[in-house]
Amino acid sequence: MRFVARRLGFFLLTLWAAVTLNFLIPRLMPGNAALAMMSRYKGRVNPQAIHALEIAFGIHTHQSLVGAYFTYLGDIARGHFGISLTFFPDAVSHQVLQALPWTLALVGTTTILAFVLGTFIGLISAWRRGGMLDGALPPIFVITSAFPYFWLALLAIWLFAIKLGWFPESGGYDVTTTVGWSWAFVEDAIRHSILPAATILITSIGGWILTMRNNAISVLAEDYVRMARAKGLKPWRIMWTYAGRNAILPNLTGFAMSLGFVVSGAILVEFVFNYPGVGWMFLQSVENQDYALMQALFLMITVAVLLAILAADGATAVLDPRTRDGA
Amino acid sequence: MRRVLILAVLVGVGAPVWLSMGSTSGKDVAKAASSSSVTISNEQGTTWTCAFSPFNGDVNFLSFGTVYEELAFVNPLKSGATTPWLASSYKWANGNKKLTFTIRSGVKWSDGKPFSAADVLYTFKLMKAHPGLDLNAAWSVLKSVTRSGNKVSFTFKTSAVPYFFYIADQTPIVPQHIWTKIKNPVTYKDSHPVGTGPYTMSSCSPQVIKYTKNSGYWQKGMPKIDTVYYPAFTSNDPANQQLASGKAQWGSQFIPNIKAYYLSKSSDNHIWFPPVNNVSIFINLKDPILKNVAVRKALAYAIDRSRVAKIGEYGYEPASNQTGIVTPTFNNWLDKGLAKKITYNPAKAISTLQKAGFKKSGGVFHTPSGKALSFRMINIGGYSDWVASAQAIQQQLAAVGIKITPENLSSTMCDADNYNGKFQLSYNGNETPGPAPYYELREILYSKNGAPIGKTASSNWERYSNPQTDALINQYSATTSVAKQHAIIKKLEAVMVNTVPVIPITEGVDWYQYNTKNISGWVTQGKPYARPAAYETPDWGVVLLHLKPKG
Repeated sequence: MRFVARRLGFFLLTLWAAVTLNFLIPRLMPGNAALAMMSRYKGRVNPQAIHALEIAFGIHTHQSLVGAYFTYLGDIARGHFGISLTFFPDAVSHQVLQALPWTLALVGTTTILAFVLGTFIGLISAWRRGGMLDGALPPIFVITSAFPYFWLALLAIWLFAIKLGWFPESGGYDVTTTVGWSWAFVEDAIRHSILPAATILITSIGGWILTMRNNAISVLAEDYVRMARAKGLKPWRIMWTYAGRNAILPNLTGFAMSLGFVVSGAILVEFVFNYPGVGWMFLQSVENQDYALMQALFLMITVAVLLAILAADGATAVLDPRTRDGA
Repeated sequence: MRRVLILAVLVGVGAPVWLSMGSTSGKDVAKAASSSSVTISNEQGTTWTCAFSPFNGDVNFLSFGTVYEELAFVNPLKSGATTPWLASSYKWANGNKKLTFTIRSGVKWSDGKPFSAADVLYTFKLMKAHPGLDLNAAWSVLKSVTRSGNKVSFTFKTSAVPYFFYIADQTPIVPQHIWTKIKNPVTYKDSHPVGTGPYTMSSCSPQVIKYTKNSGYWQKGMPKIDTVYYPAFTSNDPANQQLASGKAQWGSQFIPNIKAYYLSKSSDNHIWFPPVNNVSIFINLKDPILKNVAVRKALAYAIDRSRVAKIGEYGYEPASNQTGIVTPTFNNWLDKGLAKKITYNPAKAISTLQKAGFKKSGGVFHTPSGKALSFRMINIGGYSDWVASAQAIQQQLAAVGIKITPENLSSTMCDADNYNGKFQLSYNGNETPGPAPYYELREILYSKNGAPIGKTASSNWERYSNPQTDALINQYSATTSVAKQHAIIKKLEAVMVNTVPVIPITEGVDWYQYNTKNISGWVTQGKPYARPAAYETPDWGVVLLHLKPKG
């Protein structure tokens, strides 16, 4: 029980610190939202109109920093994130909720897939080290992981979309498809996601393979594995429950972190494939000094990462009794 | 077992997420694009907000022209040739201080309610009540707007002939019966716009907007194209790819190496880049060295504009001339004799400086008091063409003995420095073009568009101020006589050439690519019936009305 309480307490403290930094950091940036807005309008708007808009935006409300901080805390507690200046006059929460499903589906799925496949391949290569699989897969994926993502993605577009025409080259779905709960739309969306997903997978799987393989090799040299072999246990059982279970522990926290960062999107993917998502929205919010949107996104990421770490701590405690209190 | 379980979880998590995407509920799945649809590829660097308020400077290009319409269409490419639109006619009176429109009858809003002069009156009253909606500052010159029957009269504080463009062409008319119910029009999204235009917005998601033809449109039998798709692009490459592959037929952005990338892909692919304004060097006239006209003239002589256009802009943007008249668009306004007075002539640059008492030492000219002619030039670092142009200018000026240090800033920072006058030289082309050279010259030269250093100047960033020039600009406002207007513009051209407050370098163009495979009726150099870029309001609506499916 003390373990849980301590973890939760730590979680709340970090959350508060993150929320506070989230409030302060954007305000330390040079420039201001009004100027960013003027340059976005590209001189198409007269200064009087800009002034009127500033009042509508609430840019020039002369609230003290401390006052603004408490308003901010109150708003967050009630889930009010305000109006986005980038997507004026839309609410921040509406914009984020529109982009988030795409990011969760694409980046979330590929992160989990990369971890599962990478761990699996890493374990098998460690178990049969020197074998065919070990000789081929880890080096290949380590090399692909070192490719710059931009280059690999453009190559994939050129080859599979433009030359071979197997997949669409950009977008989340075809412009002529109506968005909705129809099979045609889902199929179209999946077809559009294959290239981005494949490129993310190829560039991210190498790390998981390598760390899992290294962990598993050192675990396989442990006495308890030798003991298990001596007992005459079936090889697959040794591999999974003896070697695998222990070797995966260090990777779990790393996985939890990357799961948390899923919600920050994949900005390069979104750029190259013109794919919808949160990453690009992030960049826009920073460029336009859109505090409301920036804060909501930062907050979302911090909370997601903290929750993921909390979950990983729990999982480690379940898998490894040594980390529990009094053990 | 465990692996199976993980995969099951994956599917379980993935499926509902996929299904919950998108914003609008779909009913029908559109059939494959037929010949009567147009897809626009215009990289705006943003996903769609699905807001359509015609008074919101961020999104009005998505509704004004197609859904909302103007009183009269003014063609900027034909020196302001006017086509009656929601108003069937107009008349100036009372020393060009009163403008009366006769409002067209038989026009309906897309929800079936009749359109009338009351809607026009309401629109302008709305802009007066909420200055945040008055994007063109119409009420800075308007005194009152009144209606009698089907006539709406605008009374101006002073003669305001050039304001016809903003009142008639640049103001979208909105339905009174809908907008009166809105509590705060400034923050109103207008997700389902109701207008008089040829199209209605039928569905919108962050990725694509679909426009469907308005079957009750007042121009009978129009439009000929049933559907318009407007996808959102956050970066240039995918947008260009859609054009090259023919998936999009109407493009409005810069494509590098366009011959190989676009034109060679199909004989149906065409381009035309009509010049509309200038990209210029703004010279800070409050700078102690730059306020000397000899230095400014030397700068103007020393720059080879056509070479800059070739290096920086691949030649797509032609070279400007010192008069500030954009050619060939406004050719008939150009005083050719004046334009010839300042052309590329490095020897003359050197002699001008020598005559004014500047001396060269160490390859750089110095003032009589010993200060080097060395200036910072701010520029937007994100515009690779401007960065290349600035480098070319730097080399050309170095050759005559003037040192320039380009500073590539973010667009926000660069704009802020322009507005506040915190620069020595500034390379910029963000002036808003109009239907005559007057509009850009007024932005640059009118003292009311300037401000002291440190205060926001709207467009006269070099801080030029001369009562005689102001008087000329005011005289132009008072006359509808084309001959008088031409005479005044020639005097303004002389100001540009004789005092060199800014140095126009290259001409800013409308980016425009079009595909003639299934669609005809595009804007061409021979038929410049509207500005051809898809981001131009309300011109893009006029373009769509001219398009026809082939065969």
